[in-house]
Amino acid sequence: MDEKIKQALIDIVGENNYTDSLIDMVSYSCDASEYSQRPSCGVWVETAELVSNILKFANREHIPVVPRGAGTGLTGTATPVDEAIVLDLSHMNKIIRISIEDRLAIVQPGVVYADLEKALAHYGFFFPPDPASGTVCTLGGNVATNAGGVKGAKYGTTRDYVLGLQVVLPDGRIMRTGSRTMKSVSGYDLTKLFVGSEGTLGVITEIILKINPKTTAASTSMATFDNLEDAGRAVSQVMYSGIIPSVLEILGRDTIMAINQNTDLDLPEVDAILLAETDGYTTGETDFQMGKVIEVFNKNNARVVKKAKSEKEASELWVARKSAYAVLSRIKTHVVLEDVTVPMAKIADLLKGIKAISEKHNIMIATYGHAGDGNLHPQFVYDGYDPEQVKKKKAASAELFQLTIDLGGTLTGEHGIGLQKAPFMTMEHDPAAMDVMRGIKRLLDPNNILNPGKMALDKKNGN
Amino acid sequence: METKYDFERKYRVQILQCSRCGFCQAVCPVFGATLRPALNARGKMLLLKEVMDGKVQLNDELIETMFQCTTCAACAESCPSGVNVPDIIKQVRKDMVNIGSCHPAFKGMNEVLKNHTNIYAEDDPEDFERERNKKAEYVYFIGCVGSYREDEATLETLDLLDRLNVDYTLIDEVCCSGVLEDVGYDMNEDLVRKNMDMIMATGAKTVITGCPYCSRTFNNKPQYAELKDKGIKVLHITQFLKDFDFGVTTDKLVTYHDPCDLGRHCGIYEEPREIIRKIAPNFVELRHNRVDSLCCGAGGGVRGAYAKNSIAMARRRLEEVEEVGAEVVLTECNSCVHNLANAKLRKQKFKISNISQFVNELMEEAE
Repeated sequence: MDEKIKQALIDIVGENNYTDSLIDMVSYSCDASEYSQRPSCGVWVETAELVSNILKFANREHIPVVPRGAGTGLTGTATPVDEAIVLDLSHMNKIIRISIEDRLAIVQPGVVYADLEKALAHYGFFFPPDPASGTVCTLGGNVATNAGGVKGAKYGTTRDYVLGLQVVLPDGRIMRTGSRTMKSVSGYDLTKLFVGSEGTLGVITEIILKINPKTTAASTSMATFDNLEDAGRAVSQVMYSGIIPSVLEILGRDTIMAINQNTDLDLPEVDAILLAETDGYTTGETDFQMGKVIEVFNKNNARVVKKAKSEKEASELWVARKSAYAVLSRIKTHVVLEDVTVPMAKIADLLKGIKAISEKHNIMIATYGHAGDGNLHPQFVYDGYDPEQVKKKKAASAELFQLTIDLGGTLTGEHGIGLQKAPFMTMEHDPAAMDVMRGIKRLLDPNNILNPGKMALDKKNGN
Repeated sequence: METKYDFERKYRVQILQCSRCGFCQAVCPVFGATLRPALNARGKMLLLKEVMDGKVQLNDELIETMFQCTTCAACAESCPSGVNVPDIIKQVRKDMVNIGSCHPAFKGMNEVLKNHTNIYAEDDPEDFERERNKKAEYVYFIGCVGSYREDEATLETLDLLDRLNVDYTLIDEVCCSGVLEDVGYDMNEDLVRKNMDMIMATGAKTVITGCPYCSRTFNNKPQYAELKDKGIKVLHITQFLKDFDFGVTTDKLVTYHDPCDLGRHCGIYEEPREIIRKIAPNFVELRHNRVDSLCCGAGGGVRGAYAKNSIAMARRRLEEVEEVGAEVVLTECNSCVHNLANAKLRKQKFKISNISQFVNELMEEAE
């Protein structure tokens, strides 16, 4: 690290909030993706003013800055580029205000999702997008990647709840977007522009979130299907029934087999298992909804349908779905979890296509995910130390993305583009859309200092 | 290529298995207190991966993270990939000690146990006003913290055993030396021998330990296998006390802190609660309890080597006590009591105590 740059950064954040020690550089070298690159230093910041001063300096000196929360992203969004300053926002972890009467919470970006959830539970409220990494991930990262979770089918993703932001722009200006109101059409929707922008346009330093009253009752059921088409049809027909389940998850055959080979769960070895939950305020209400869902399962040749009679039974039905990631993570040294998303009626086609790709390249792809919003998680399981398998994985990924786009879907439902899917951006977006995105990036960040190399916004990583 | 270090020979597959999901950050007490990813389990695994790849040298630069782990095992419990980080860290510490890279506090502990009978280098043991080394049904083994730092608590525990008419004896105990294995060294065979000889000389068939760590060491370390071979059982005091009726209760709101050595490491969760149920009908669990318990910050040599962060970890645990509004937080580990008591703020009015001490006080009041 250049001594002058180091001193300038220390002058801004103080000696205790600057690091270039080896142990920190290695820990900042990656997120939960397969990418890795050591930065040149890291800084811990607690205020928007400090973020502003860092960005002003970096912009003047043309030094890349990579914002970071908990580093749980799966696409390399928080993986640094060479010579980068890692801007660790986890110390900005105050819940500034919870206003039940205004139905909102105002938080700093480093607040952990679960901490907000705990604070809201006190009032009987919650923040619905519930990412699987909720105990660890930070809300700044949730906004920057537009994170979702298992309840997306009914409750949407982070985007649906962000009312306003405070953002520090790459030149150091501090900007407020949106408002504390439930509605606003005042000007361009700058708030939504920053949701999912993966730290490429500005650094989010405050977030105004809409919150929901927590439901108090739920019904849970599980159904097995010998035939994938039946399961796919069941998913689409649930929508015809007029019910939107709070959860509608699917486990594909490869995932079921992997769970059986590695645990004592002894699941029925079928083409697909669907797990459904309906929520509301009384069991009468949730049971009524679940009755409609079960009717659809039965009509579509479900072999076994189980409805939980107690909370204990419900959590038993969840075990298989909840264990999927952990089971698949233990089989080989490397896992990559995709999040391709298709129109809901195409779920069965996507599963069939994934099976064909897996067989063609002889690589394990186990699939599960959120059937209720068309968002599946094909999980690649391979040995990343074997160049042959890495090659196969790469080829299979490219085919998966092409299949998804051909089915009218999108590369990512809830993880983001990052480094991982940057080369495929033009597969989904036409040249005009790419031009507009790159133009926005140039307008706000002409020196390309903020999280460069991500989302195919610059020449280096675009295509 | 020939691997240089034992940690790689033993744990290469596990280290590669870490999928870098970062879920350990939610439970790592060191990360919780410092918010520094380099000190979290994932940070440690990333470094070790780089050591195995030849990109990082195992040297003094790594001391700050490798020797700053309480070995509480919360990460191992929550790891989707099944990586047992504490076992790996203990082996890495040994490798580092072998090449001369060791935290001075840990080195000091090993030196102290070469020349003294306990980790505090105290040469004048408290006699607890009781005859020692006599024939008895039980040996009560106190442990270093209970003998030299929490001696008042120990006295209360011994009073309770007297009240319950337990036929026990103290011995001229020396450090069980299990902790050396956690801080990069091997157990001290001399100390092990002394303890076993003294225990066997009493004719006791059961050893009751006040310290969960000693209990773990006696039960799990092959160096102490002779005890089992001679038919001598080792119980933690909560396992021993659970069947007694004390005939006293308190109205106070009581909570319980699961010590890592008793809970996650030995699976003893219910016995302490069984005792508490008998004496405190007004009981509330802490937010993190049983297998999810939050470490008090004292373990793995961290209290001695990184005192400030150790206290910060204890403060986080005490915030959970405040959260539930308990008037008494019970545990049964002198090390936890010691660290939690050191971290308690003046505004925090609740009492911190071992269960055995608390029961004795209730019985004394009732008399």
